[in-house]
This record gives sequence, C-alpha cells and structure tokens, in this order.
Amino acid sequence: MLNNHRVVITGLGVISSIGIGWEEFWDNLLKGKSGISPVTSFDTTNHITHNGGEVKNFKPEEFIPEEKIKLLNRSSQLAFAAAKLAIEDAYLSQENYPSPLPLPQGEGARGRVGICIGTTTGSIQAIEHINDRIISNKEIGKELISQLPPHTTPSTIAREFDLNGPNFMFSTACAAGNYAIGYGFDLIRSKRADVIIAGGSDPFSRISFTGFNQFSVSAPEKCQPFDKNRKGMMVAEGAGILVLELLEIAIRRNAPIYAEISGYGLSCDAEHMTQPSVDGISECMIKAMREAKIETEDVDYICAHGTGTTSNDKTECAAIKEVFGPLYKKMPVSSIKSMLGHPMGAASALEAIACALAVKNDIIPPTINYETPDPECDIDCVPNKSRQHPVNIALNNSYAFGGNNACLVVKKFIE
Amino acid sequence: MNRNVVITGIGILSSIGIGKENFWDVLFKGKTGFKEITLFDTSALNVHIAGEISDFDPVAFLGKKGLRTLDRSTRLINSAAKLAIEDANLQITEENAHLTGVSIGTTFGSLHSISQFDREGLIEGPKYVNPSHFPNTVINSPASQVSIRFTIKGFNTTISTGFCASLDAVSYAADFIKLNRADVVLAGGVEELCEETFLGFHNLGCLSGFDGSEPLCCPFDARRNGVILSEGAAVLILEDEEHALRRGASIMAKISGYGNSFDPSPPFNSPLGKGGYRGVEEFIVDGKGLRNAITLALQDASLHPENIDYISASANSTKVLDRMETNVIKEVFGNHAYNIPVSSIKSMVGESFSASGALAIVAAIGAMQRGIVLPTVNYTEKDPECDLDYVPNTARQKHINNVLIISSDPYGNNAAIILGKHDA
Repeated sequence: MLNNHRVVITGLGVISSIGIGWEEFWDNLLKGKSGISPVTSFDTTNHITHNGGEVKNFKPEEFIPEEKIKLLNRSSQLAFAAAKLAIEDAYLSQENYPSPLPLPQGEGARGRVGICIGTTTGSIQAIEHINDRIISNKEIGKELISQLPPHTTPSTIAREFDLNGPNFMFSTACAAGNYAIGYGFDLIRSKRADVIIAGGSDPFSRISFTGFNQFSVSAPEKCQPFDKNRKGMMVAEGAGILVLELLEIAIRRNAPIYAEISGYGLSCDAEHMTQPSVDGISECMIKAMREAKIETEDVDYICAHGTGTTSNDKTECAAIKEVFGPLYKKMPVSSIKSMLGHPMGAASALEAIACALAVKNDIIPPTINYETPDPECDIDCVPNKSRQHPVNIALNNSYAFGGNNACLVVKKFIE
Repeated sequence: MNRNVVITGIGILSSIGIGKENFWDVLFKGKTGFKEITLFDTSALNVHIAGEISDFDPVAFLGKKGLRTLDRSTRLINSAAKLAIEDANLQITEENAHLTGVSIGTTFGSLHSISQFDREGLIEGPKYVNPSHFPNTVINSPASQVSIRFTIKGFNTTISTGFCASLDAVSYAADFIKLNRADVVLAGGVEELCEETFLGFHNLGCLSGFDGSEPLCCPFDARRNGVILSEGAAVLILEDEEHALRRGASIMAKISGYGNSFDPSPPFNSPLGKGGYRGVEEFIVDGKGLRNAITLALQDASLHPENIDYISASANSTKVLDRMETNVIKEVFGNHAYNIPVSSIKSMVGESFSASGALAIVAAIGAMQRGIVLPTVNYTEKDPECDLDYVPNTARQKHINNVLIISSDPYGNNAAIILGKHDA
C-alpha cells in the first residue's frame, strides 16, 4: 500500500478574518494585520468578552448559486467559497488553461477527484437557529433541519463540482483541517484518488464563544501567543481549502505547484479532554517527521498551534524543546492565530496554506501582539514582523479538544 | 509487504441486545427492538416508537467514577469499547498504547449535548452556563473519551458522514493498520437516541408513522413508508493479522476490501438543485456512487461478484433507498444478483444512522461464524421493483465465505466493505 507516489499542493482557497483569497490573506499575514474586531454575528452584551475573528465582507452570492445559499449553513457557505477559489486557483476546470484536469463529468466518469473536510462545530449555526426558533415558539423549517448533518459541507461541494471520488468529513475539533489534509494525502498516495479537495471550515459560533468564555480562556481584546501577559485565545471563523494532487498528474497538466506534502502524524494525549500534553504533542511531531523521513535539523519553520492561552503555548513550547533539543532556540515558530484568531477546524487548514506559501516564498509570517517575553515560551516566535528566511520544510502543528493532535509536514517542491 | 487486517473483538449495544451473542441470538430469531420511547417526551409528536436501548446501565460497564459528565453517546461507545477489548482479550499497555488507535463514526452523537449547552445559555444567560458541559459539544468527544478511559495514544479520529460514517471509520482504521501507523484500532460507530435527532427525522417526514399510521419497518416490502429510528454503539477490534496471530488472538473475520464513492447525481432533482426542501424521499439518486463503491470494494478484495455469498443491505424501509439499492445490486451482480441472499438487519434494529454500518459488520460476522443468513423481517408484500432474495422473515442456513456490507447516505455518500472468513 505504501509507495512512492508524491502529493503536491496545486491550489489554495481562503476565506478568513484577514482576507478572502490567498493573495489578500498572505499579504495581510506578512503585514501583520489583525482580523480581530467586535463581534457582530450575535449580541455579546451578556458575554464576558466581545471581540472575535469574524470574516468581514463575505458575500456568499459571489461564490454560490443564489438558490442554494439559503439551503447552506454558514460553515458550508465558507467552505464552498474556499473550495471554489482553490479549484480555480489550481486550474482544475478552466477551459482557458492550457491543460486543465477535467473534473469528472456525468455518467461513467471515473471517481478520481474526492474531498476531505474537517470541522469542529460543522453545522452548529443550524443548531443555534433551531434553538432560537424553539425558544421563541417558531416553526422549524425543513430547510433548516436538512442543514444539520456536518457532512452537508463536503457533499454540497462534491455535488456542485461533480466530484465522484471519496468523500469524508472529519469532526476532530481544532485539529480537523490537518486530519482532512492528511487523509487526502493518504488517499492519493494509495492511488484511490488523483486529486483531493482538502481543508477545514467553521462558522462563528455562539456556542463556542460562550464555551471558551466560560472556560476563562478567551482574550478580551487581542490574541498574544507566547507573550508573558497573554490573556487567551480569540474565537474566529473561516475556511481553508487546498487542492492536493498526484505529482505526475500535476506535472502532466502543467499545474501550479505551491509545495509538497511529505507526511503527517497523529497522536492522542489520552489524558484530558481540554488540557494539552507535552508527551502527546511531542509524539505527534516525531511521527510526522519519521513519516516524512526527515530529522529535526531539516525543519526550518514551525507553524504553531499557538492559541494564546496560558496552557497551550507553554505546553507547545515545552514539546518543541523536548523534540528539537538545543536546536529549538534557532527554530522560527510563529502563530498566525495572533492575526486570524482561532477559526477552529479551519485553523490548521489555513495554517497549512500559510506553510505552503512560506516554503514557496521563503518568508515566515510573524506572531503579532508580542510585547513581553515569557521564560516558559523562550522560543523565537518571529515577533511582530515577517522574516525572509529559507524554508525548505515547515511543520504545521494542531491540537484539539479530546487530546487529538495532528502535525503535517509541508516541503518545498523540488522536481 | 502488505498487511492484512482482521477483526479480533466485538463490543455492541443495540436495541435488540447487548453483547455479540445476545445480539446474534435475537437477529437469528428475527425479533425486533422497537418500543415506546422513554428517553424523552413524544406526546406532541406523531411517532412514539423507536429502537431505544432500554436496559442500558452504564455503571455496570464503566463503574461510577468519571461517568457524571459523559453524555449518552459517550457512555454507549465507551461501554462498547470495554466489551470489545475484553472480547479480544486485548491488553493495552504503556508499550502498545502508541500503536493503538480509535476511529469512530458518528454524526449526531453530540447533537443533544450541543443543543442543551446552547439552550442553557439562551435561558440562563451565557455567564451562567456550566463550563463542565462544554467539552461534550465537540463531535469528537465520544471517541476521545474512549482514548482517555482506555489510554489509547496512537490516534483518535471521528468521521461524520451520516449513514456511511461507521463503514468509513472502519475503512479508515484499516488504512492506518496497512500504513503501519497502528497495529490495533478500535473502530466503530455510535448514535444516541435523543429528542433533537428524533425531531429532525420526524419533521422531515422520514419516520414511518408520521402520517398517524402504525409505524412499520419493512425494508424492500411494498408497504415501506419510512424509517424507525434507533440508537446503538458497536466497536470492532481491527488488528494487523500478524500481530493477532503473534498474540494468539482468536480471529473472527478479515477485512478483504472497501470502497468509497460519492454520488453527485442529486443536483438535478434534489432540494439543493431546485431550491426548497421537500423531504429525503425527493432525493433521486441514480446509484452511480453506490455502484462505484461496491465495484471498488470488489477490486480491492480481488473478488468477483460471484464470490459474494451474502449482502447486508443499507435498506431502511424508505421507498427510494431500498429500490436504488436493489437496482445497483442487479447492475453490479447481473443475473447472479438473484442467487445472493440480500437482507437488512434494520428490519430488526431500526435505523441507527451513523452506527448502522458497525452494527451490520457485527451481524455479518455472526452470519459467517454460524453459517446462517440473517432475515429481513416484517416482509409480507412484494414490491415488483424490489425482486431479489431478501431472506424474508426467517434466517437460513448457508455457508458464507464473503459478505458485502453497504451503506448509502441520502446526501450522496456511499461506502462498501467486504468481510471474509479468515482462512476461508
């Protein structure tokens, strides 16, 4: 089953609090722009905090056929839009491109294009809308109920783009994007698909906002990963979608290649539902590097999970120290959540996109809002300013409730 | 060197029985698990019957410690995991914990917990919500609690693909064993019966008895008019064959092949194509995805259609699915389709949604071990469009080497798994 098939990233689609489309996203990442603003999705008067990373200026009608918009929950809308951008970016269907990979069309088409999506809360806004209607004694329409299953997201996208291949929805909380990308990589390597549309999406959720506030881990104003005075994470939303493709097909059709995926690792803390563990995180990075056949000195950049909570950042830094030993002080480790906030299941997918762009361009995005060093987080967090730095290999860390950890290895593409 | 994946343990809780032997006994007798719902109030609804696990005592499986904050799905899947680990005589130690994983299919397993958490915030105010309930609002919480309780550290994955979720979770688990990422995986699925899921199926008009008639679960029968919802949890111990042989485990079956394929055909006739939702029955699926999934599974198993001795169907007593499945079996198997017994255990256990595939795998193992084909019960009126051998009402003796298990979801997902007798 294991073989030498290589998997490359040939398209990127971004819907985020700092930009729509990868170009705007990347530009703002390098500028160190924050996407945090007062929450408008719902009234936060009775909540403890009031800021979040909402996607601004998202007009679903620019991406989705109008009659379908009202049938899709927000998570599906965000993912749909990001998938459309990624598919276009990869020239998977454009007729004007020299040699596009025709998406499967109609009867008898080979199911070589599939989809893997990850989410934390999936259809949670549908649940919230249903509760609003129950509380106010209003009727619950069938359109709303039909949005409840989380797999409406991959199935809607697969239907729109006529994707016959494998179709998966991973509900592995805040590491879900990496799970989906990882399994997409597996499906292509094992020759069960040529192309996988992979990534993650999550809507801005009242439930998540309430929960993290009640957990006392939400920052009131800004997200400051690795800073001594960090006050917590920032709930956000978004979608990040990548087109993963078998290298030989990407080359044959002359597709744009951003980077290569060379492995990933999963682990489970098996300790606590919400407290991260040094052992679990370390193991996950080690497994990813082992699968990618690389050593610690080959890694040039770590895109941190870096939520900005006291416990996450401290634990992640301890794990990086443990795995990288004396190398850790030289290793650039940044958290783009300082800018995006934490878009849950979309986080690691958006971070994988940042990794792909970092290895392509040899630039590392910063950790913004960094003011005061924390002796427990004495890593090089690329404070406040992006940095020109050769990046051949990036690790993309992600951890989740349940102790579900995933680490992806993104590598510069060299033929 | 390719690794083979075998099944060495089973844990199951269903509306017709807890534990594999009880479950099999009732299936072979053709008894159903449908009864009045006691978990929530149905007085305002048209349907009051479901496949509830009425005699479930989590303390008997898990003890009292650590149980308080776990929701019903989590208690069910942890109990199933405990039964499976015992059945496989598996010792999870500090040494092997890192090569052991968990892969669970569930879609609405946390729906009740999520809804209740939100409602508490709406009624009491967000500052008065109990934070200890927040971890239950992630869909991976049932699976994660299995890892925590049994110290399983290799990986932990939750897949939410509706009706296909537990077959998808099992094929994902098999992949992880083949890719050398794990030697052993606890794979399966869970769905709890809760008012939110029930209300959803009810209000979409998917439940039999929605029109005020007596609820009836009769897959392939001409009278079929909707599902009877149920709950369940099943965990299978998947294991690398060499690993199982080395530790002297008793091998119950092997996983010979699997396929997964999406059916994008709904856009032309479905709610999402035309705007406006008119009920699941409106999904006109031509079966292309299911056909692909079965074909891929046969290829993966290097088997021909005539090697399949029994088909465990996804049919859940809805007009469209049962007919589509029948048509697809005829297309893939040709004339041989009429020689293969095809039955749906959902006629007895009901529609347990994301748990259904795992329940079907457990049933299929029993069928292979005992050499008995399971019946489709409540079968009395023939539908001219469904004319295969559905093993009506009574179990039948037959030597079974290879079983095909299929799941098809109205949103377009399809999964197929082929189980074989070990050393058959």
